[in-house]
Amino acid sequence: MRLNEIPIDGVPYDRLKVEKIPASPAYAPRDPELVPAAGRTLVINPDRICMPIGAMWAVLGVHRAIPFVQGAQGCTTYARYTFSRIFKEPATIATASFHEDAAVFGGRRNLLEGLRNLVVRYWPEVIGIATTCSSEIMGDDLVSFVKEARIKIGGEIGAEKMDRIAMVIINTPSFAGSHVDGYDRAAKAFVDTLATGRDTPDRRVNIIPGLLYPGDIREIRHLLEEMEIEATVLFDISDTLDAPLAPPQEIPYYPPGGTTLQEIRGMGNALATFALQPAAGAGGARSLERRLGVPAVVGLTPVGVDATDALLQNLSRITGREIPASLKIERGRLIDALADTFHHTMMKRVAIFGDPDTVTGVARFVCELGMTPVAVAPGTPTKTFEQEMDGIFAGYRELFLDTPKVFNGGDLFEFEEYLKTLPRLDLIIGNSKGIDISRELEVPLVRVGFPIYDRFGYQKRPIVGYRGAELLLYEIVNSILDFRYPDDRTQQL
Amino acid sequence: MTRKVAIYGKGGIGKSTTQQNTAAALAHFYGKKVLIHGCDPKADCTRIILGGKSQTTVMDTMREYGEAAVQIDGVVKTGYCGIRCVESGGPEPGVGCAGRGVITAINLMEDLGAYTPDLDFIFFDVLGDVVCGGFAMPIREGKAQEIYIVASGEMMALYAANNLCRGMIKYAEQSGVRLGGIICNSRNVDGEVELIKEFCKMIGTQMIHVIPRDNIVQKAEFNRKTVTEFDPECNQAREYKELALRIIENEMFVIPQPMSMDKMESLVVKYGLMD
Repeated sequence: MRLNEIPIDGVPYDRLKVEKIPASPAYAPRDPELVPAAGRTLVINPDRICMPIGAMWAVLGVHRAIPFVQGAQGCTTYARYTFSRIFKEPATIATASFHEDAAVFGGRRNLLEGLRNLVVRYWPEVIGIATTCSSEIMGDDLVSFVKEARIKIGGEIGAEKMDRIAMVIINTPSFAGSHVDGYDRAAKAFVDTLATGRDTPDRRVNIIPGLLYPGDIREIRHLLEEMEIEATVLFDISDTLDAPLAPPQEIPYYPPGGTTLQEIRGMGNALATFALQPAAGAGGARSLERRLGVPAVVGLTPVGVDATDALLQNLSRITGREIPASLKIERGRLIDALADTFHHTMMKRVAIFGDPDTVTGVARFVCELGMTPVAVAPGTPTKTFEQEMDGIFAGYRELFLDTPKVFNGGDLFEFEEYLKTLPRLDLIIGNSKGIDISRELEVPLVRVGFPIYDRFGYQKRPIVGYRGAELLLYEIVNSILDFRYPDDRTQQL
Repeated sequence: MTRKVAIYGKGGIGKSTTQQNTAAALAHFYGKKVLIHGCDPKADCTRIILGGKSQTTVMDTMREYGEAAVQIDGVVKTGYCGIRCVESGGPEPGVGCAGRGVITAINLMEDLGAYTPDLDFIFFDVLGDVVCGGFAMPIREGKAQEIYIVASGEMMALYAANNLCRGMIKYAEQSGVRLGGIICNSRNVDGEVELIKEFCKMIGTQMIHVIPRDNIVQKAEFNRKTVTEFDPECNQAREYKELALRIIENEMFVIPQPMSMDKMESLVVKYGLMD
């Protein structure tokens, strides 16, 4: 008996497939006025989370750094949980542990005691202090609190030890933005607070990767190594949030890697700062340019051929390094893969959602594949998103089967309702939050971006660079094949 | 049935003085059981009932010993004529969130059962202006059912009163809170009573009583006493007795119709140009 003929509760396995549930007679169509998120005070299926988690993400990419969240415990609990789900790694995050009294009297005492406990128990080198909604609404004066804390703790442990611990304040009231903005604010806060000056210019470059996964950052490092460029990657989570399983060598335990304090202090001496994701990191790059005169190169998210070309050309222009043959070979392999699979990707309709820079990067790449992006939806609105999309689509419009719908902000309910009105859709590219839409519409989902919590390994597999694009391409093609020819073993690919 | 009363009014108008003197009159002349819940972070709403005793506030207790340490015995003090007093307290000026303190204190008092059913009156004494949800707490969810606004014949006091009415109508539908009237705490300015009466007519309420200006109020305050306690036979004590009676017998509870700024201005012109 074949495996799929073995009955489970009397039903053979191959008949267990769930059919699409027909709409019940009571089903009422959506009120068209309430579909656009702008017409509602309610967010349904949000495609963004809160601002402090972006700052926590950033701080976790610094060597021997601990985020300290000036807020209630839940403000950190969900963050630890989210990081564990995505990275399968522990994340050490401290909290000021606000209770009812802190909401009335302000968070000064919580901050003083919290920082003191954190310092004497963990001895971090950097503490990134992220505020929360409640702290900001009360108007906690973080600058003076931290000054006071430094004096107090310095009195206990000695001024010399205190001086070795850097503290960075990141204001992250969630009502003012999303996790993407939180990362951006962290980038600005770190370079503003720590990058000391432009006294000894060197040949390094700064890279602010944005909300990219460890696999992506490793791929960026690979490109830099091939170009023989030394770089400071702020914030480098490639080791801290992807550490090997080994017993801790010392207590308190810190994961290996992360950007060192010394590297961040020297960022003002670099040739240029590359913010790979405009919405998450450009704030830091621009501030460094204004303050210390380090030129900022913002975008493009290096997904696909054009954007990776642009990154390497910019790196080459600024450092004077040639693009090596090895990278040209990688590029050639990607072009070959594009040619090999083009008959499967061309004229396919794809909908993309996620963080704005992920969406622009992926949208540019799918255009290179001959696909039509029928809908693009960034969960966090940006001032430039629509303009960027226009720029990407300009070169491909005559190949498009439909006019793309460009959202800017909004929620996944609005996105889903739009997709339901389309006569045809072949693929959705987005994060794990799209799984229900994918099942409802019976269209495959290719997972990219933040967060991916329902599959393993995505945080290690890059989408940036030529090699990353190749992996993403196969993911796209295989999803299409899997969907269109699920059991066909004779199909000639 | 406990009547729950909130006293509002412009800062410095004499809310706390009027409120404590009225409470003393209710207790002394009519034998009413009264509780005063001070909702001002300055915690000065119960001083002359308690004879100048400084009261440990709910927020002080919470700050020092935690929420679990807040017990009725610790924060409810009994003063003149058995009037029970609670002060919310709050953070130092410039830090934290005083409005949240009011919410927390009222919730805690409810949880602890401080508002016992044997009470005839509960007074919430709220600071000058309703500036956030915290200071509107006493009129939310039916905590206070009637509001009295203390005002005088000065324009700024009436502006504030009008503004309070605007804040109040937001809650009137859901919580059932109603305006019981305007208490005129006289400043002896020209045409004061006429102005307030016209103002009351325009917003649809009544001037419930005029408290004349009398130095004995200050004198009693210096002695840390209400007028009733200081000299129950004096004329001013009779005025508070009268106000207390009118509050007891009051049947006119309305949702006010606050005036537009233009209308307020025309009232200013009419009475401002009288002399």
